[in-house]
Amino acid sequence: MTGAQQTRRAADERLRRAVRPEKPFNWFRLVVTVAVVAGFLLATSTVDAHWGRLPEAPAQLWNILGLMIGELALADLPDALASMWESVAIAWLGTMIAAVLSFPLAFLAARNIAGPGTVVVTRQLLNIPRAIPEIIFAVALIPIFGLGPLAGTVAIGLSSTGTIGKLSAEIIEGCERGPIEAADAAGASKPQRVRWAVIPQVMPEIVAFWLYRFEINIRASAVLGVVGAGGIGTMLQQSIEFRQWGQAGMALIVVIVVTIVIDAASGAIRRRIIRGPSS
Amino acid sequence: MIRFTHASVTYPGGVAALKDLSLDIAEGEFVVVVGLSGAGKSTLIRTVNGLVPLSGGSVEVGSRTVGDLNRSRLRALRADVGMIFQHYNLVNRTTVLNNVLMGRLNRVPGWRSMLGWWGRDEVERAMRALEVVEIVEKAYVRAANLSGGQQQRVGIARALAQEPTVLLADEPVASLDPPTSHTVMRYLHRANRELGITTLVNLHFLDLARQYADRIVGLRAGAVVFDGPASAVDEKVFERIYGRSLTADDVLEAEASL
Amino acid sequence: MSSRQPGLTRPRRPRPSPFAAAGLVGLAAVTVLAGADWEYGIGFSLVEIWDGLTRANAPMRGLADIDLGTLLGSRARSGFLETLQMAVVGTVTGATAALPLALLNSRLGAPNRAGYVAVKLFNNIIRAVPDLLWALLFVAAVGVGVLPGILALFFFSLGVVTKLTSDTIDGIDHGPVEAARAGGASHPQMLRYAVLPQVLPAYTAFSMYCFELNLRASAVLGFVGAGGIGAVIDFYRGQGQWDRVWGVVAGFLVVVIIVERISALVRRRLL
Ligand SMILES: Nc1ncnc2c1ncn2[C@@H]1O[C@H](COP(=O)(O)OP(=O)(O)OP(=O)(O)O)[C@@H](O)[C@H]1O
Ligand SMILES: [Mg+2]
Repeated sequence: MTGAQQTRRAADERLRRAVRPEKPFNWFRLVVTVAVVAGFLLATSTVDAHWGRLPEAPAQLWNILGLMIGELALADLPDALASMWESVAIAWLGTMIAAVLSFPLAFLAARNIAGPGTVVVTRQLLNIPRAIPEIIFAVALIPIFGLGPLAGTVAIGLSSTGTIGKLSAEIIEGCERGPIEAADAAGASKPQRVRWAVIPQVMPEIVAFWLYRFEINIRASAVLGVVGAGGIGTMLQQSIEFRQWGQAGMALIVVIVVTIVIDAASGAIRRRIIRGPSS
Repeated sequence: MIRFTHASVTYPGGVAALKDLSLDIAEGEFVVVVGLSGAGKSTLIRTVNGLVPLSGGSVEVGSRTVGDLNRSRLRALRADVGMIFQHYNLVNRTTVLNNVLMGRLNRVPGWRSMLGWWGRDEVERAMRALEVVEIVEKAYVRAANLSGGQQQRVGIARALAQEPTVLLADEPVASLDPPTSHTVMRYLHRANRELGITTLVNLHFLDLARQYADRIVGLRAGAVVFDGPASAVDEKVFERIYGRSLTADDVLEAEASL
Repeated sequence: MSSRQPGLTRPRRPRPSPFAAAGLVGLAAVTVLAGADWEYGIGFSLVEIWDGLTRANAPMRGLADIDLGTLLGSRARSGFLETLQMAVVGTVTGATAALPLALLNSRLGAPNRAGYVAVKLFNNIIRAVPDLLWALLFVAAVGVGVLPGILALFFFSLGVVTKLTSDTIDGIDHGPVEAARAGGASHPQMLRYAVLPQVLPAYTAFSMYCFELNLRASAVLGFVGAGGIGAVIDFYRGQGQWDRVWGVVAGFLVVVIIVERISALVRRRLL
């Protein structure tokens, strides 16, 4: 018997033993795909969007960007920087308000700390501000605090409380049980347990998330001015509306550059916080 | 089939992993490379399919000199050389069959593979490769749901689906328990004997090497310190390769009996 | 236990590093400068906040007798429909374009170093522009309506999904990549077979998360003339009909929470 024959026979034998499976049908994927495609086609065809204007959009945008660069004037820089600083201040203070408000709520919303009833109620309470955009808070607060940055700051603070609270609660729920048991074994009270076994574990991640939220809030506070709640948004809206492209361009550049710089700095600090002190 | 001529590799950073190494492997041989950690076993194997470029000398596979190939020729060579990895290197999130089809990528037109339109013929070949390692019933299971030994068999099937002339295996059983190690080694051996594929395997355990190899190559600090039939490996040879005498830690059976 | 062992000095309590200390002082200074009542501060005052919130005011009165009947009106209904349509079109187009961009935006997928840096810069700029600012720009470019809203959501989604997906790509297992290369796959084939299957579930989850963000964003695009439910809210606000504003907001809240639940269910199934 030759080697090839032997090979064939061995292969045949195995073929007889093994049964090839049928290709299973992935219903889940089919349903999701059909839903997305159908939803997209339906929305595109029914929306009253004047699609005819779409082809001219790139040229128009290009045109506007050209005017912005062309009419750029250094004289606008101090104003733009001052307004952007106001936006940063709004984002910073708003994030601090949210951090202070959300911190106790987060423990009440964590299943491994609070009772089930408290958790459900707190979670619902956190859900409401999470679903409402900052701008809507801002328009409701302007009649109360008047036009200006205070309304914006409180709006950012309230709306971030929901997100930060929910995420902090999840971080708290993810902490290790070991130290909690050790604290219990040492006879700690409930608040003592939270203070010495839970907070040291979760604090780095929670603070890192505050910073991350600050980065997002910069983007929100840069446009709050559109409704008159302070920051560079007013300048952006008015210069675009009155076609003062040089000023609009300067404001746009300042927003982009400051946002990128703060992202980079805050990102570096976040990584350092998560990594812990190097020794 | 595979010829190293004064091959040397110096990594960026100055580590000389292979030093002026010459070696000739004939068609159809089952060669096992042994050596201490850091001896250069992985480096040696990876120069064969050009994953690690040589810094001197040459490697030839058949009539092709690896260092001289342009990008598409190098890909064609890699398609003729199957590789098996210590950590299996499967895409966990997709099916076993899709993993095995990865072995056919170089054989189908680019646009068709990008769309994922595999012909019947390609699927048939992948199925046959799975049958060789006797795991065809898992064809539509996600790779993540298999045990380590099963995953390594899929890794072998992926290499066999390439219908290679050379098979490279870099510590294929280092992450497996002793009985599973034997199963995997048997499949490699079978591929070598039944399909006539020239096979080059890195192994950690000397007894496993002696059991399956036609020929054993001992590496130490990037140079060949032993080259001979498995039967010629004795205590002395072991000392030459590992720089110390044999202990219980060095054989698989000892571990198995623990 | 009772007496100090001779010869062993107890370590001193380490002092915070000068870098960390300077950082903390700096952050405190920023906080004070930002909050103080001076030319460049916002004049933050808890007293003022308390006074404001406890004083009778129109929005709160409106909240007290919230008018949920507004939701049945044709204005609100078409506003909601428009918001949904905008979010769907913006997300699907933006997320689709984000997949190739995410590959280019990762170390593994970029064809070369220069391309990687250029794509990264482009993505950072896109991400630095807030949703409403995109809307302002597109309203200026193509006029008011739903179209600028969709374009704004497209770019917003592009930035978000690209960033999240490319971060995932940078963290995947390189084993299959090596296996694909060792099997003779080309660069695009490697991306298609070794990278894509690993990131597809996460990419889908990010796209759904982005849909939630877009839904929320499309509630405010109307404030600058870019369509959706925001235009309705802005209309009632302009009329001072706060009871109706809150009615619409409440309906919006329910829509967002429902979408979030569905999305969470699907995402759990995916990951
Ligand atoms: N990519 C690399 N860059 C720099 N040095 C490397 C690289 N890969 C391996 N080396 C070095 O080259 C030498 C040989 O490495 P190689 O991986 O070939 O050893 P090995 O025999 O396979 O070891 P092990 O049994 O641990 O896998 C080692 O000193 C290693 O540190
Ligand atoms: Mg190795």
